[in-house]
Amino acid sequence: MARVYNWQIGRQMSYWYPEARPKKQFAAVFDINKCIACQTCTLACKTTWTSGQGQEYMLWNNVETKPYGSYPLAWDLKLLESLGGQSWRENRYEGQTIFEAAPAGERVLGWKPTSDDYAYPNNGEDDCTGQVDKGAGFSIPHMNWFFYLARICNHCTYPACLAGCPRGSIYKRPDDGIVLLDQGRCRGYQECLRACPYKKSFFNPMVGTGEKCIACFPKIEQGLQPQCFLNCIGKIRLTGFISEPAKASADNPIDYLVHIRKVALPLFPQFGLEPNIYYIPPLHASLPFLNQMFGPGVEAARKTYRSASKDSDLAGLLCLFGSTESIVHRWRREGETVTGMDEKNSTLVRVPLTEPVYIRAAYDPKFQIVRTNCP
Amino acid sequence: MRLAFRLFALFAILSLLAGSACRNAPKTIGEVVAIPVSAIPSDPGDAIWDHAPEYAAAMLLQDVVDPRLTKASTSEVRVRAITNGTIIGFRLQWLDPRKDDTPGPGLAVDSCAVQLPKAVAKDLPSPQMGEANRPVEVTLWRADWQAWASGRGGNIRDLYPNAAVDHYPFQAPPLETGSAGQKEMSTRYMPAQALGNQRNGPRESPVEDLVAEGPGTLKPEARSGSSGKGVWTKDGWMVVINRKLPASLGSGMRTQVAFAVWEGSHGEIGSRKMRTGWVSLLRRAEP
Ligand code: SF4
Ligand code: SF4
Repeated sequence: MARVYNWQIGRQMSYWYPEARPKKQFAAVFDINKCIACQTCTLACKTTWTSGQGQEYMLWNNVETKPYGSYPLAWDLKLLESLGGQSWRENRYEGQTIFEAAPAGERVLGWKPTSDDYAYPNNGEDDCTGQVDKGAGFSIPHMNWFFYLARICNHCTYPACLAGCPRGSIYKRPDDGIVLLDQGRCRGYQECLRACPYKKSFFNPMVGTGEKCIACFPKIEQGLQPQCFLNCIGKIRLTGFISEPAKASADNPIDYLVHIRKVALPLFPQFGLEPNIYYIPPLHASLPFLNQMFGPGVEAARKTYRSASKDSDLAGLLCLFGSTESIVHRWRREGETVTGMDEKNSTLVRVPLTEPVYIRAAYDPKFQIVRTNCP
Repeated sequence: MRLAFRLFALFAILSLLAGSACRNAPKTIGEVVAIPVSAIPSDPGDAIWDHAPEYAAAMLLQDVVDPRLTKASTSEVRVRAITNGTIIGFRLQWLDPRKDDTPGPGLAVDSCAVQLPKAVAKDLPSPQMGEANRPVEVTLWRADWQAWASGRGGNIRDLYPNAAVDHYPFQAPPLETGSAGQKEMSTRYMPAQALGNQRNGPRESPVEDLVAEGPGTLKPEARSGSSGKGVWTKDGWMVVINRKLPASLGSGMRTQVAFAVWEGSHGEIGSRKMRTGWVSLLRRAEP
């Protein structure tokens, strides 16, 4: 095992291979507060990449309802339970990562889902929480909240799938950090299934190889956002590239949200993979639950997010989510206008900080008709 | 007196059992001996195998490279061998009360393999998949491949009989069933197949020839041609693997061979396996 630095846990850790950061790292921010669990992202990916035989059960993108939903079943709970104590001292993780907790003879602490575990992709949907005017007929923990968690492969800096594969069939592209599974080399040992804590590597029983999210790399290579981002109805997602914390740049949208404003947080950073999908945590869910899921930065992130209405820069950048199919590499706000730029600094899109509102009279005298109330 | 009678009766029964076993199989021996035959049968139950002596190979855990097998399963594989001077046939038998021949997430299938050093030489590569520049040749048999070679279909319902599928895009009009256009579109969702790496699905042979130069380096051997067949009964698997005889293994000469068995119900797959070290293999001279 090599020693590598993982900034998300504020310390060095053991990993199967030495630290080798890509030139650029594919990353994204998902604003959980805007997700409505319409599953359009799920379908966008499904129709694009996983409509074949043996892929029927496979959802490279899925949206689950927390705290009760999970796909595959209990993917998070099973590992959290076996990982043991996961305490933080400020921003430093004091427990073990899944690499450090690997039992003798294993490369990673993991577990392998079976077909049955994938059979309830949306179990616990909308199960919550409170509102219960006339009183609930039952009592469960977390009575009064729930939120939607959209998940894709995290294209981790320290992928467990890659560490787990004894054949070296999984690789991380040096140019953009996308983690791919070599379909010519895989022999279907399912070690990546066992190792990935997020359970975002799958086994195709009809082909006999592992398959996983490819970050829509043919689109990324053309400067375009992936399918599940483009089709997101709630405009919760923004694709980009993240720098290491010391090299963060305020005009890089992902750096700004993750490193500078610290409003977007990694999913289960304590696992130790340095995952690269960052989440703006939900405002109304339980703080201890969210601390376990997103680490110690949740309270500060929510405070910053709450202030967005009085913070033109933060609000401005959030307006760029879902505003263009292209990848926004840089951004700036000038007065009431927010501009997204590509890698060469050419303007991709301009959005107003405040959407103009037009009010039309209910009755149209010219056509002598009552207007329907649609935007 | 009574005790003496019981002991006598037990002895008599044991002798009878041993006698019947001896009639079927020549005595267990200290190395694998490939006896000369004129033709190589494909059926593991063929009477010719009764003439080959049986070697009982004790199996070891693969506990050399991670991920390892930490809990032992199959303790012994019984091996017989025959050769016609071109092909060498091995018959592997091991106890396995459950047949595991259905692949799927979290499932492992029963399998076995025969490994030979590529070069017949005194200086042997590591028995654990060979070494750099000192390759080993492996022939792998898998129970799911056997099921496909024996006629299992290529539809998801052949694995999950109750699967309900609304629609595959390549089965929609105007693409016609069986057309080249349909095949082309369905292959887009099977990149491994498009790269010639179809591990699962309908196939003609239940075996595959491979070469390796160390753990994790296994790759298909360009020139293959092995064949095989496995039959499961409640006593376990009986699998025949027929592969080319090493070119320089002349009559009366020795090389080495190693075996591996994967117990599906024990989750054994890839490097998680029971294996042997090198075992001496004699090509018995023609009488
Ligand atoms: S999320 Fe899982 S599959 Fe994706 S890179 Fe990380 S370990 Fe690999
Ligand atoms: S990035 Fe592309 S491949 Fe990955 S989940 Fe989204 S749509 Fe699917």
